[in-house]
Order: sequence, then C-alpha cells, then structure tokens
Amino acid sequence: MGLTFSSILDTLSSLTRWTKEKDVRILMLGLDSAGKTTILYRLQIGEVVSTIPTIGFNVETVQYKNIKFQVWDLGGQSSIRPYWRCYFPNTSAIIYVIDSSDTARLQTSRSELLTMLSEEELNGVPLLVFCNKQDAEGALKPEKISEELGLAGGEKGREWSVRGSCALKGEGLEEGLDWLVNAIQKK
Amino acid sequence: MYHLLKGFHEYLTRKEEFSVIIVGLDRAGKTTLLEKIKTLYNDVPGLTPDKIVPTVGQNMGKISLPSTILKFWDLGGQKGIRSIWPRYYDDCHAVVYVIDAEDRERLGEGWEVFDSVLSNPQILNVPLLLLANKQDSPQSLSVDEIRRDYEEWFQNKIENSRRTYEYDSSPDMHHRRERIASLDVMGVSALEGTGVRAAIDWIFIRVQNSRS
Repeated sequence: MGLTFSSILDTLSSLTRWTKEKDVRILMLGLDSAGKTTILYRLQIGEVVSTIPTIGFNVETVQYKNIKFQVWDLGGQSSIRPYWRCYFPNTSAIIYVIDSSDTARLQTSRSELLTMLSEEELNGVPLLVFCNKQDAEGALKPEKISEELGLAGGEKGREWSVRGSCALKGEGLEEGLDWLVNAIQKK
Repeated sequence: MYHLLKGFHEYLTRKEEFSVIIVGLDRAGKTTLLEKIKTLYNDVPGLTPDKIVPTVGQNMGKISLPSTILKFWDLGGQKGIRSIWPRYYDDCHAVVYVIDAEDRERLGEGWEVFDSVLSNPQILNVPLLLLANKQDSPQSLSVDEIRRDYEEWFQNKIENSRRTYEYDSSPDMHHRRERIASLDVMGVSALEGTGVRAAIDWIFIRVQNSRS
C-alpha cells in the first residue's frame, strides 16, 4: 500500500514538473577540447567566450523557450572522465559533443559514449550528439560520425540524434535544442 | 483483497505494445509524419515542420489507442544511413514506407529502396503500408498513379532481369508478386494531417490481426 501510494505520488510530481519548471538537468559531455564550454555559453549568453580546459564543471541555467535547463558541462580530460558517473542520477537528457575534425580520437570518443550509455541510470534518456567544429578543415559529416558511433539498432530504448554544429558561429545549436526539448517532454 | 482488485484492474486496462518503423528516402517526410501523428494523438504537440532537419539517428513516438500502444521509430533516410534499417526489422510489428509523391525524379530511386524493403525476408510477414505523401501539393501523383507507377517499375525490372536469367519462376518471386498484389497504398499529407488518422487506423487493425 505504501509502495502504491509513493508511486502515485511519483506520477503526480512528474505531471507537475513541467508547470513548476524545475529540475530539468542536462549533462553535456565529451572529450576535452570538443567545445562543450563554448556551446554552453553560446546557449546561455549567445556569445563566444574564450575558454580554458574545464577541470571540474561549469553549471549554468539556460532559459530556452519557456523551459529552464540546468546544463552541467563536465570536464573532458581522460583523468576526470571517470567522475562523470557521479552526475548521472536525475539526468533528463545528454548532450554529447564531438570534435568532428579530431578523427584520431573518434574511437576514444565512441567508447566513452558507449560506456556511458550502458549505465543503468541513463536508461531511456534522450541523447543529442553535436558533431561540433563543422567549419574546421577535414571535419567529418554527421552521417559519417553516426556510422562510426554505431548507435543504430543497439539503442532502441532512447531517442537519439546526431547533428552538425558550429559553436563559434552558433549554427545547429538551437535546432538541436528544439529536438531535445521535444524528446524530453514526451517522456 | 486490495492487490487482487488492483491486479484485476491492471488486467482489464492492460495495453499491448506494438512497434512500427517508418522508413523511406530522405526528404520523403517521415519525421514530419511522426510529429503530426504525435500532435494528433497526444496532448503534447510534436515539432512543427520548420524545426525539422534531416534525421541522423532515431526519433520515437508513442500513441495510446484502445487496449493498444503504438510505438513508432522514425529512421533516417539518407543514402549512407539506410543500412541501419534492417537492425530494426526483427522487433517490428508493422512497417510504413513513405514515398514523396511530388518528387517524380526520385521515384525510381524510391522504388528501388522500397523493393528491398518489400522483399526483405526478415519482414516478409509483417504488415507493410505504402504512404504517398505530400498529397497537399497539386503536383503530387495520386494514390492510384503511385500504385501504377510502382507496378510499371516492377514490370520493367522483371523484364530486364529476365533477359539474363530465369528470374520469374523462383519461389521468392512468387512471394513478391503476392505481396505486391495485396499491397495497401494510402495518400497522406504529413504537413496538413489529411489521411494520417486513416493510416493509423490501418496500422491499428493490422497489428491486432497479425497478433492472433
């Protein structure tokens, strides 16, 4: 009985979540120098800021349409990637950022992504992949990166989208966020 | 007693889930169709067409019908990513193939791809619906014209291959002919929503029947 009551309470609170506009937590992850921090500030203040490699995290509230997101930008250096998992509970969506011109480390990026997606706490959480730095020379197209990541077929339980972006010019970011909002609201 | 009643209530209101995949060439309107379905059947409206970009990945949607839940997977249709479709075939209960009825130049390519879907052994017994999209455009081919165009394309293909080897008498060809003869074609406008409910009704009835 107690169990049922708490599950009803859960349902009710999830219903009111959107009206209260709280606790929409988005994690932004990816290898170092992929452009996570640049994307974060581009989204928040609409400007390109000069960044230094993130040790620890940047967290900002981004108001988009009528929704407030808490975006956590976690550092991407290999020494601090193991700490990503501390942030997994209560995550509404993941933005994974890839440097499209960094073909040498695409496989590393892939395995970090797949390891993360296999975590139980992230089951069913929508995934948006930004293939960033599309303006850079030798940048791979989203279709090619998607193929390399090999998400198709293996990730049937979540929505995912692989998109090109250029954080410096602000291209592709809003469209990506629109998609993400749509995917989160449906859950 | 409470649990008994609760279980009984769950049994009565239980809904069976079916998976439907939406495939077709890029720019056929698959994502627009899915978002329209969501807008028509759910409280939360889907993305509007101006927000939709070519899909690389998978979009999902879920609608609730009497005693049934339909789950949709909309898969990207660009040339390089069509190879992912077969990975979804094993678990699906229906396949929707969307063709752009307005784009005459790409009909041939559309049929080539459709033919490979239709003849795929993994989904030979799965209900298959062909949707002639963009019926809102006056330039679009009608449902009848689309069907005829496909049948003509198919005849041509057979005649071409007949010259090289005995193609016609294979058992595989027999199945395909049957499948084409019983193929349902419907017209929709994913943009305006016309015909979408009829298509959903078709899927609903077919998945119910294929279960029993």
